[in-house]
Amino acid sequence: MDRERQNKILPYLMLMPAMAVMAIVVIYPIFSCIVTSFTQEEAGGFGFENYLYFLADPLQLTNIGYTLAIVLVTVVLAVGIAYLLAIYLRFSNSLVSRWIGKLYLLPRFIPGLVAVNGMITIISNSGLLNRLSRLFGADWQLGLMYDAKGIVLMNLWFNIPFATMLMGAAMSAINNSEIEAARDVGAGKLRIFWKIILPLTYRDIFVSATFVFMGNISSFTTPYLMGGNHPTMMGVTMYNLYGNQHFGRSAALSVIMFILSALSAVMYIYVNMRKDQWEKN
Amino acid sequence: MKKAGKIALGLFAGAMALTSLTSCTTTAAKGDGKTFTIWASGSDNVKVQFEQQVAKFNEIQDEYVAELQFITSGTGAESLSSRLIAAFQSGQTDTEYDLIEASDSEIVNYLNQCGEEFFVQVDTESMENYGNLNYQPAVGEGYYIPYRGTTVLLAYNSETVPNPPTTTEELYQWIEEHPGRFAYNTPGSGGAGSSFVQTSLYNFLPEEALTSADEKWANEWDQGFDLLTALHPYMYQSAGKVVYPNKNQGTLDLLANFEIDMCPAWADMVISQKMQGTMPESIQLVQLDPAFTGNLVGFAAPSFGSNSEGAQAFMDYMLSPEAQNIALESMAALPVIDFSLLDAELVQNIETLNISEFRSVSIGELGTQINERWDREIATLG
Repeated sequence: MDRERQNKILPYLMLMPAMAVMAIVVIYPIFSCIVTSFTQEEAGGFGFENYLYFLADPLQLTNIGYTLAIVLVTVVLAVGIAYLLAIYLRFSNSLVSRWIGKLYLLPRFIPGLVAVNGMITIISNSGLLNRLSRLFGADWQLGLMYDAKGIVLMNLWFNIPFATMLMGAAMSAINNSEIEAARDVGAGKLRIFWKIILPLTYRDIFVSATFVFMGNISSFTTPYLMGGNHPTMMGVTMYNLYGNQHFGRSAALSVIMFILSALSAVMYIYVNMRKDQWEKN
Repeated sequence: MKKAGKIALGLFAGAMALTSLTSCTTTAAKGDGKTFTIWASGSDNVKVQFEQQVAKFNEIQDEYVAELQFITSGTGAESLSSRLIAAFQSGQTDTEYDLIEASDSEIVNYLNQCGEEFFVQVDTESMENYGNLNYQPAVGEGYYIPYRGTTVLLAYNSETVPNPPTTTEELYQWIEEHPGRFAYNTPGSGGAGSSFVQTSLYNFLPEEALTSADEKWANEWDQGFDLLTALHPYMYQSAGKVVYPNKNQGTLDLLANFEIDMCPAWADMVISQKMQGTMPESIQLVQLDPAFTGNLVGFAAPSFGSNSEGAQAFMDYMLSPEAQNIALESMAALPVIDFSLLDAELVQNIETLNISEFRSVSIGELGTQINERWDREIATLG
């Protein structure tokens, strides 16, 4: 075999194992899930019955709306807080900032279930905060358990470090020289932010938002352990449907989730492809 | 290149030799008339229990060798029953399904689908420990031998509730008088809540309904659901909303933290958590009248197994005080033999629970329908 031909084939050969694994564990299940989602439980055969179930049932619509509301609040808060944190970590050199810089990744190494149970121990109505308050004669009932607020709090715990990591990378790509140059010509802090930092990092805001959105729309552990009975987030709804042997409906719900994630991925691709005025030559 | 080929060939040959060797040993073991296989499923504590009992069984006699095939909950336990039924229906004989662990409601399921020929008759006369057995299972007499009980009871905090209710009427009255101090878990997420809901419905129906999968009973649930609706506002609340926790452990956590005073709970969960010290000593259990549901769990030998003598010897062993002590210690299983035969120290934990009979439930698909209707009508009350 001559070297040139080998060089052409080799990359494909090297990709083969990964592609094969993808085909078996990702592509085939997606395909079979889509087929299942069109398999009708009541009428038999193929059709839209399972999808209509979600669109016609007010209970299920509430669940979907509830999920989207929690996820959107999570995205806005997580990305907003993370952005400010990333700026702080990038431009402050204080002891606090250096410590936060070391610690903020820690949550990524704690298994989700442990974190959720840890949070419950602290915020539940008989949790640590309540017990501390009782030492002082008060009786705080935070009411965060079995409530959307608690789920959002937990989501922030998981997602702020993640989003900070993504946007921190973008922040560190900003050259100090650019900032200093602006300062030399008399730009104030706000102006530097608007004219330099934001244009250089807004893309990563959208990227983080997409990832946070996709990571939370299908969340299960947090809403299952901390959420109430009604409405339920889609992950829990799907679990219940599956447990009650409605395989077609749960498959349809996963396709709906997939579509919602795909919509956010479209935004991701759009923002990444877009060329700004100053980037065009 | 050549060298690599040789190595590969060598490895391949070696692997072939190994597989043929191992397959030899398994066939040898299967054919020797000594070895038999026990099939069981459940949580880890059930597995721990069986590992000890099987080891002990193999130690104290040398006529048979027991092997355990354990399927942990949620990893294909469902398919065990399908595999058994498929083996039976395809006319297989001489399989490795020598002995299966099953609850009485699972036995009903096998009988409904396959008939009595599914199991081997057991010669109870020749079983040394059979006389110890205190319970007669409602189904499967002659081939189904229970070895433990499991039931839902009312768990309560004896410090705040000195005189617990003893009937369901008293319980409902107590709940209404103490708003926010009672909880049951969502019926779809665990047996304790499910038992509370099912008995609330079926206490209005004739007792035979509880062991029938007939769809007609679904029309008679309204009175029960009305009761659950009426109780709803008095349930545990968080942030001003009524909440039904997920999972059996969800309500037990509330009970252990004194957020509630009472909940339905699996007896074995409460007892083992008290043994571990995660459940306060003040939490006690009481049986109501009419009772919550419970099951006998036992063994039966499929007729298509290959060593029913070994299987029977193990069923016999499971009724010995030694095996019962292991079950009690490792998973707080309710013994099926007289408490006086057991280790006095272990019995302390369950002394007050001399349960005369287990109220078995086997309503098949209707259980799912109840959960769905509950999700729709009760969970959404807000």
